[in-house]
Amino acid sequence: MAIDEKSHILFTKPLHQTPMIYYHSTNTDINLKGDYMRISAHPILDFERGTQVSFTFDGVQVSAYTGETIAAALYAAGYRTLANSPVRHRPRGFFCAIGNCSSCMMVVNGNANVKTCIELVQDGMIVETQRGKGTL
Amino acid sequence: MIHIDLLIVGAGPAGLMAAKEAGTAGANVLLLERSHVPGGQLVKQTHMFFGSEEQYASYRGFDISEILLDEIKKLPNVKLALNATALAVYDDGIWAAEMDGASYTKILPKAVIIATGAGEKSLAFPGNDLPGVYGAGAVQTLMNQYGIKPANRVVMLGAGNIGLIVSYQLLQAGVEVLAVCDGSPRIGGYLVHAAKLRRMGVPILTSHSVKQAAGQGRLETVVLWELDKAWQGIPGTEKVYRADVLCVAVGLSPLSELLRQAGCEMVYVNTLGGYVPYRDSFLATSRENIFVAGDVAGIEEASSAMVEGRLAGLSAAKFLGLSTPDFNAKRNDCMTQLESLRSGHAGERILSGLAQAVIGS
Amino acid sequence: MLEKTGVPTQSEIESVFPSDERLSKGPVAVIECFQSIPCDPCATACPRGAILPFADINDRPVIDNDKCNGCILCMTKCPGLAIMVVDITWSQDRALIKMPYEFRPLPDVGQTVQALDREGTVVAEAEVIRVQYNKSMNKVPIVSIAVDKQLVKTIRNIRTICDTPTTATHTAIQEEAQDTGIVCRCNDLQLAEIRALIAKGYTTIAELKQMARLGMGPCQGRNCLPVVVNELSRALGVPVAELPVGSFRPMVKSIYLGDLAGYEEQGEN
Repeated sequence: MAIDEKSHILFTKPLHQTPMIYYHSTNTDINLKGDYMRISAHPILDFERGTQVSFTFDGVQVSAYTGETIAAALYAAGYRTLANSPVRHRPRGFFCAIGNCSSCMMVVNGNANVKTCIELVQDGMIVETQRGKGTL
Repeated sequence: MIHIDLLIVGAGPAGLMAAKEAGTAGANVLLLERSHVPGGQLVKQTHMFFGSEEQYASYRGFDISEILLDEIKKLPNVKLALNATALAVYDDGIWAAEMDGASYTKILPKAVIIATGAGEKSLAFPGNDLPGVYGAGAVQTLMNQYGIKPANRVVMLGAGNIGLIVSYQLLQAGVEVLAVCDGSPRIGGYLVHAAKLRRMGVPILTSHSVKQAAGQGRLETVVLWELDKAWQGIPGTEKVYRADVLCVAVGLSPLSELLRQAGCEMVYVNTLGGYVPYRDSFLATSRENIFVAGDVAGIEEASSAMVEGRLAGLSAAKFLGLSTPDFNAKRNDCMTQLESLRSGHAGERILSGLAQAVIGS
Repeated sequence: MLEKTGVPTQSEIESVFPSDERLSKGPVAVIECFQSIPCDPCATACPRGAILPFADINDRPVIDNDKCNGCILCMTKCPGLAIMVVDITWSQDRALIKMPYEFRPLPDVGQTVQALDREGTVVAEAEVIRVQYNKSMNKVPIVSIAVDKQLVKTIRNIRTICDTPTTATHTAIQEEAQDTGIVCRCNDLQLAEIRALIAKGYTTIAELKQMARLGMGPCQGRNCLPVVVNELSRALGVPVAELPVGSFRPMVKSIYLGDLAGYEEQGEN
């Protein structure tokens, strides 16, 4: 077991001995969350946000704007993991964001397998991480 | 049960144009769109379109969507249903649809145009399911439709037009694009798009692909490596990028499930993106009342999808016995436009693909 | 080279630049459109007819440099942002370059910005002389900068915020064992599992469906099938077009069983 000090990733098997070129930006990380992450100045687009609402994600209050999907609102709030995969229990985010795949399915108001990349937020929604395939 | 002249599935560039053309010819049209916004992928296209005046060249994609919607709103015989998904088609020609995301209905149309578009392909590599590995179109949706900055630093896999365009749009949203890579030895997208990225300082690595994506719970690093002529990774050429998003833009695949259910004869054509329906040059499938248009008939640019939509709209109207006096002129115009859009260097692949999918005349 | 790097060579740049004689007469457009693509808005953009009409939509633009007066109209119409205007007569020692700039923030007049070449490398500083942006310009602002005359064929972009450049260091990295990448998100199937099934003799989509529920999840095969048909093709040495395809049944998206059971016909209309 080896640990890459920089990324804190646990590795189990050395791949090969050759050092590789490592690129990284010297720009400091900005913790992208909330309204900071919602684009305000854009060269082409003007974004008109809806009214502010809030919902809970695994019990935590998250604010959003009407017209946003659940996945988009969670993303803006800094959440990337929406579900645990059904067999390996790996963290999953969205993949297609237009309702084609199944990567973003969550439990919404008690209903499992809701595609949150296309489901719009509503005030007071209860959103939970989906673990496995969900139950009826 | 809804009885209707023409059911159109999908209100993207092809479906909207089809509705406009068939509606103008007098058909009663029901246009189903599964999303809560019409326009398909046009709504997130912030770049100016290529093509010619007839395909709204120099207009930006989201503006074209508005223009087409305005024209459709003028047609009282065209009904656009949002949050409406065509679910299934049965042997008796009855279609089932989910309406308003809540109720279900049966539809018995005299003719159907399938314009369901395409989905993003994925690629298998270690770590490809980490949060942070997203379809390029998904990132475009987040960024341009919902106005959310998707990342600090992105690596783009794919130097076709989608990879190049989304990379540029990421820069416009204030995101750093560390590199664009593509397994092919040549840039697949338009070189003017590539030049726009290069002069912003974004490297484009041809003959490179993703070896691995890694991170604790979310994407933190992307390892690229060079490919040899057999497209195998070359050990020792790895480059490691610290990125929070890896966009996958490795092509599109037609969303053809409904065509299969309907019993349309299909053929796998690599250069058209996957399984596409056999059709005649006026876009009629092997089922006489079912027509196709846009990416579901084969992956091309949105400009071609619009012209195909118009052509399918004309063909469906003719099938319904609603030909207008200028039908032949309109249809010839569509054929001429498609021919010129496909006549250049970029059209060679499309034409070779169409040669396998278009039968009869 | 251009197709590999995205950067035109010096000779390609020279091929689209007007002659030194024409340059010495004042502002003129330079169109860096090196590839035949179906696109023709520039051909009708010039009110003076300086961009010659296209015989075919895939033609590359040709400018009549004597008719071009270096206005900016064609620049805002080019979807590839491939047009700039150069004026080497602008002052004794500096040339003026007008270029489209689709980013925020826009620079201020008088501001010193970094001038970049076609690879994005900073080659000089430039003074912003003018920023043109109004409703008729299709959201394509035109920024005019003054640069050293010697660099008129080198500079192609500006940077208004001066970032620290991306740096490279060396380190070793290892990979996680056993992860070959997910093919099917619905049922969590990895590439190695699919390959193992194929190696065992499950060589049709129908068999893979029965063995691994491939294509039977909520996405109905949209994600996995394009990958799997290519795996089958490679393993069997048979073109994808000749592989048997599985069946596709209703529905194309998941719906609740209760909705199906509770469906009531709304009556004929």
